[in-house]
Amino acid sequence: MTTSERPMIELVELTKTFPGQRKPAVDKLSMSIERGEIVVFVGPSGCGKTTSMELINRLIEPSSGHIIIDGEDVTNGDPDELRRRIGYVIQETGLLPHRTIAQNIGTVPKLLGWDKARISARVDELLGMVGMDPQVYRDRYPKELSGGQRQRVGVARAMAADPPVMLMDEPFGAIDPITRDRLQNEFLRLQAEIQKTIIFVTHDIDEAIKMGDRIAVLREQSHIAQFDTPEKILSEPADDYVADFIGAGASLKRLNLSRIRDVEMTTDTPTGLLSEETAALRQRLLESDWTAMLLLDEQRRPRRWVTIGDLRREGRSLDTVGLPAHAVVEGHSTLADALNELIESNGGVAVVVDAKGAYQGIVDLETIMVAVRAMREEHSAFYLAQKQQPEDAAR
Amino acid sequence: MTFLEYLERNWENLIELSIEHAQLVVISMLIAVAIGIPLGVLGHRSGLLRAPILSVTSFFLTLPSLALFALFIPIFGLGAPPAIAGLTLYALLPVVSNTIAGLGSVSPAVVKSSRGMGMGPARRLLQVELPLAWPVIITGIRVSTQVIVGIAAIAVFVGGPGLGNEIFRGLRSVPNANAPNLIYGGTLAIIVLALLFDAVFVLIRRLTTSRGIR
Repeated sequence: MTTSERPMIELVELTKTFPGQRKPAVDKLSMSIERGEIVVFVGPSGCGKTTSMELINRLIEPSSGHIIIDGEDVTNGDPDELRRRIGYVIQETGLLPHRTIAQNIGTVPKLLGWDKARISARVDELLGMVGMDPQVYRDRYPKELSGGQRQRVGVARAMAADPPVMLMDEPFGAIDPITRDRLQNEFLRLQAEIQKTIIFVTHDIDEAIKMGDRIAVLREQSHIAQFDTPEKILSEPADDYVADFIGAGASLKRLNLSRIRDVEMTTDTPTGLLSEETAALRQRLLESDWTAMLLLDEQRRPRRWVTIGDLRREGRSLDTVGLPAHAVVEGHSTLADALNELIESNGGVAVVVDAKGAYQGIVDLETIMVAVRAMREEHSAFYLAQKQQPEDAAR
Repeated sequence: MTFLEYLERNWENLIELSIEHAQLVVISMLIAVAIGIPLGVLGHRSGLLRAPILSVTSFFLTLPSLALFALFIPIFGLGAPPAIAGLTLYALLPVVSNTIAGLGSVSPAVVKSSRGMGMGPARRLLQVELPLAWPVIITGIRVSTQVIVGIAAIAVFVGGPGLGNEIFRGLRSVPNANAPNLIYGGTLAIIVLALLFDAVFVLIRRLTTSRGIR
């Protein structure tokens, strides 16, 4: 087997029975994790997901079974040496409060005996990677940082010695929803670059779906209920336990898995510029099959939705007629974002723009429904039952 | 002779006695810290030993000081040594109990993440747990010092040095008119010494505590 084919982490019948307990907390957990993937352990409290993770860096010593990392059996041998090769992030961050941010990030490199200049250069590089200015933050103390910043430092610290494997125990669990969302996105962007092999523990199925390349849904004693991609787990839950855990709204959750750029946008919507003659715009709208037209400004940014009625009113600035077109999403937004914007929009559709805010196309409800259905069963046919619109009937 | 006149004539003597007194306290404290912190670490690590360690060290505080000092005369003879032994035992409890409390107050998440990064037990204790427990530990040391600055005056009864000599001289010379001066002089010097020690501790605490946990 070549290196690239060999799984990065292999767990072989890993078992932990705590002293004085009859039933094992983790019972014969076996799984194999590929290089560069994020595997999420998800399950209710007490299912043994954190224990399972802590068996891997031997914070908890296994009662039996084997841990094989990159082909090497690390079940025995010096646990401290093993842990220096595995990045570790916990919910409470566990930053050393008496040490500066630079010292915190440099902890493992220092344990590994790097020289000062190398550690210092690495600290600056890592702070940059997690979006924090080294000049500002390297000499601060953890208490001088916000929760989100602390968690960023926690992630940077775990990556300090460039370990191939990282264990993350609810790393974003204690952070407010808005910051959590941002940190998740940042981390996914970072992971696309660094390609670590990551085990990520959470009790939140939505976070699991977002973060995981594969998800292991665990039930008590860390028995694997299902181990598969988020798409498969959502569309084909292995049993009632998994289905219950996903909870209601599996189809809605699936909307978080696809992005606007993956679906077909509608681009034949009539558009016009705010600077154009009203008559020309009216003509264009009448010639289309559409009930409303999107007006753009000089930078092609969406400004107003207008109907024929709006365009008939003479003598008013186009900037004030119709309704504002504020429901805009970008190509990397998820279909869930698009649906949310769509519901709140004035045009019944979500307007897609590029990074500069220029109009690209629109996404309507039908597009979203088709996309969700297609995910569920490839190429499955369905009827889109809807009431014909009067204009359609008239034509 | 007024008290001021007494001070004017005696200040050199008082300072000399104060230095002896301070030496007695410092030596006893150094020994108490050297024994107390390891005992506290032991008490923190082992739930089994914690209760016995705490009860033995608090037992010393219940003994009358004179009796405790006298206990050591058969071993160390007269002079400073039995006094130092007695003062050390008095000083133990605050040091030990604050070490246990300080180590217990270190966040479990910090300890866990230190383990998770590959810090062994010794490194963890010296680089993480003790530095974080330090403000609590040094408070214990400060309390102990204050306690034994006072008690050290009794050392005179086992032939020890220090400001107790001045007070004792005053007690012996009652009803001599100068007796109260001697007693007040010794007592005043002890109070000044205690304040000085306290100031030194405020400084030490400030200098030895990381800005991150201040």
